[in-house]
Order: sequence, then C-alpha cells, then structure tokens
Amino acid sequence: MAACWLLRSLSSNFSTVLPLLARSASLSPLQLASKPYFGRTLASSSRLSAALKFTDKHEWIRVEDGIGTVGISNFAQEALGDVVYCGLPEVGAQLAQQDEFGALESVKAASELYSPLTGEVVEINTLLADNPGLVNKSCYKDGWLMKMSISKPAELDSLMDEAAYERYIHSIED
Amino acid sequence: MRGGQPLVEVVRLGLVSYQEALRLQQVYVNRHRSGPAHALLLCEHPPVYTTGIRHKPYPEPLLDQLRLQGADVARANRGGLITFHGPGQLVCYPVLNLCSFKKSVRWYVDQLEQTVIALCSRFAIRATTSPHTGVWVGDNKICAIGIHCGRYITSHGLALNCCTDLSWFDHIVPCGIEGKGVTSLSAELRRHASVEEVVPHLLHAFTQQFNCQLTEAAQDGGESPTPVTSAGTSALTNLKDN
Repeated sequence: MAACWLLRSLSSNFSTVLPLLARSASLSPLQLASKPYFGRTLASSSRLSAALKFTDKHEWIRVEDGIGTVGISNFAQEALGDVVYCGLPEVGAQLAQQDEFGALESVKAASELYSPLTGEVVEINTLLADNPGLVNKSCYKDGWLMKMSISKPAELDSLMDEAAYERYIHSIED
Repeated sequence: MRGGQPLVEVVRLGLVSYQEALRLQQVYVNRHRSGPAHALLLCEHPPVYTTGIRHKPYPEPLLDQLRLQGADVARANRGGLITFHGPGQLVCYPVLNLCSFKKSVRWYVDQLEQTVIALCSRFAIRATTSPHTGVWVGDNKICAIGIHCGRYITSHGLALNCCTDLSWFDHIVPCGIEGKGVTSLSAELRRHASVEEVVPHLLHAFTQQFNCQLTEAAQDGGESPTPVTSAGTSALTNLKDN
C-alpha cells in the first residue's frame, strides 16, 4: 500500500513523474506493470492508470480498457527538435506491429513513426494540426499522436517497460 | 568499430531524373538491412519542383501551373516545403545509418548545414544558418535541405546552387518562406562556379564535419573500393587489390 501513496503524491505532474519513478527504489517496474488499473481510484486528473510500454524506435503506448494511446518519448522529441507538422493516419487504418503509421516533421526532416502493436486506429489527436509543438512540450500527455484498438495483446510483452527503456536510452547515448 | 571513422561510399550519378534518383536512394537505403552501408549520392536533376510531406499548401492546380513552366513536378516523403532542382545545382543525398554517427535528426541536419557553411567559407563566402533550416548568405538561400529518416536511415538531403538558373525560383515561394530570396555560388562569387568545381570541396567538408572516410567504387566495376584522398578529390585508379 505504500506504493499507492507514493503514486498519488506524484500524480499531479505526469510529465515529470516518469524520471522520478525510475529513480524511486520503492517502486519496481514490475509492481507498476502488475497494476494496470491502479489509477482508477485516484483523482480524475491522474493519467497514471496504466504503465507505459516503449518500442526501440521511441514510441510509447499506454493501454486502458483495450485501447492503446500512442506517442513518442522525451528522448525522441529532443532528438527531433521542434515539431512543425504531424502526419497521422486515417481513423480506421489497420496497422501491424512495426508498420509505418505516419511521420513527424521537424527541422526539414520527416521522421517515420512505427506502430507499437497490431490494431486499428480509432482516434487521432486533432489538436496537433494547429499545435504540433505539443509533441515537444507534452510528449507523454497532451502530445499523444493516436489511439488504437489492440488485436494482439500478447505483443505488449515484446515492448520495454519504463526501466528497460531507460537502460536502452543510456546504452544509445554512449 | 567504436572510435573508428565510418566509411561512406561516394556515388556519382551525373544528370538523372528525380524519379530515378528516388529509386536509387531506395536501393541504397535497402542495402543498410545487412549492416552499415553508408553512401553519398551526388547528382544533378533536369528542372523539377518537389514538395515534401506537407501536401496541403500545394494542391494539384498549383502544381499544374508549375508544369506549364516546363518543369517536372514530384512529391517526396522528405521534410521541408517546395523547392526547385535543376542543372547547375549540386544535389547530394547522404544515405547514412545514423547509428554509426548520432541518433538524432536534429544533429544530422545541423551537420549538413555546417558542412555547407564550411564549403562556402572555402570560397570566401560567409554563409549562415537561420531559424529556417537551410544555408543562407544574408537573406538569400544558397542551399536547401530536406531529409527523410526511417529506422535511423537517412535519405533525401541537400541542394546547393552552384550556377543554377535562379529564375526558376520566381514561380514558387522557396521552402514556403516569404520575403527571402535565393542565391548561388556563381552569383556570390560573380564568376561561373560549376558543379564539377564544387564537388571536391563538398566531399572534403563532409569528411571533416561527419568525421568519416570516403571511398569510391572502382570505375571498372571491380570489387576493391578506391579511397578518396584527404584533399577531397577522388583518385579513380583501377585498383584490383588493396
């Protein structure tokens, strides 16, 4: 139960929570991953109801009620620079895991986006059309890219949890 | 491999259509599947206007107007808005795996800009960057940049005006930036500067900026790569052995 209280106190600012979680000795990623509906009793502003999983191409997905919300990580948004355009898929697009689903443009560079899982696009973040910079400013929250249904939940196991992703980032930055 | 300089193959395509260059870039992109296979494609294009992944500013009727000017028109999956490629413009497509360099497109684009700035300084031209990606001499763009990156493999690249007929740019707002002009090495130097003259300087600046080595396939199609000398000029001797 100590873990509950720690999460509640950290829930107010989602974008800074992840680094804190990584450094917290009392919360192991395993505990987070085993409590996907943990946040349902928290305040409605909390987005911590499910753990993030990461791809090696720096997309993240958060699955709640069978729907996955997808975005790019802080590492990715820093490596891109200021995002000026988000090329997103049509609602209804069928995606296999690792399919290209769109591209982000920054500094005259179009960088491909890859689907973390197999499923169907159910919603895209229309705010990004006029405010693509949300991807930089709030990559885990308001800068989400799309939502998709999950055809093969087992694929989640092939993705990295937050601790593994942090290790992956450190290995890249050598 | 860590600490060693990546090896980049220089591929001189000559005058090729934009579509042919796209096809060849894909060949070189695909080579990376079996391991690092960096390449630097150099070419010129017949007159063509190209747009990037942002389609909305360029509906078909606008593109048809450009076709009436006698140029080809093509859409590309690169970043950046509309630009022009034509004879007298050195087009360079680095197909690199950023895993061998630095895994950041922001860094990569920065390096391309710095490469061209260093090249310009070899001609005593003071070029700069600006909030708009590309290389500028004052308010005039001398080199456009627009790239694509997927799985850390880059394609598309840069287009440096050497002796381009700049009047082609009158029909567009280059790169979507109002109120700015374009220029070329010839215009800045007030003398003719050909693509052939500029290539060795670009290669030299590229090796310096990217800390890499260049190689060139032997002209007879033999298997031994021919090293490009450090001065940047290619040594196209027919070496059959190392």
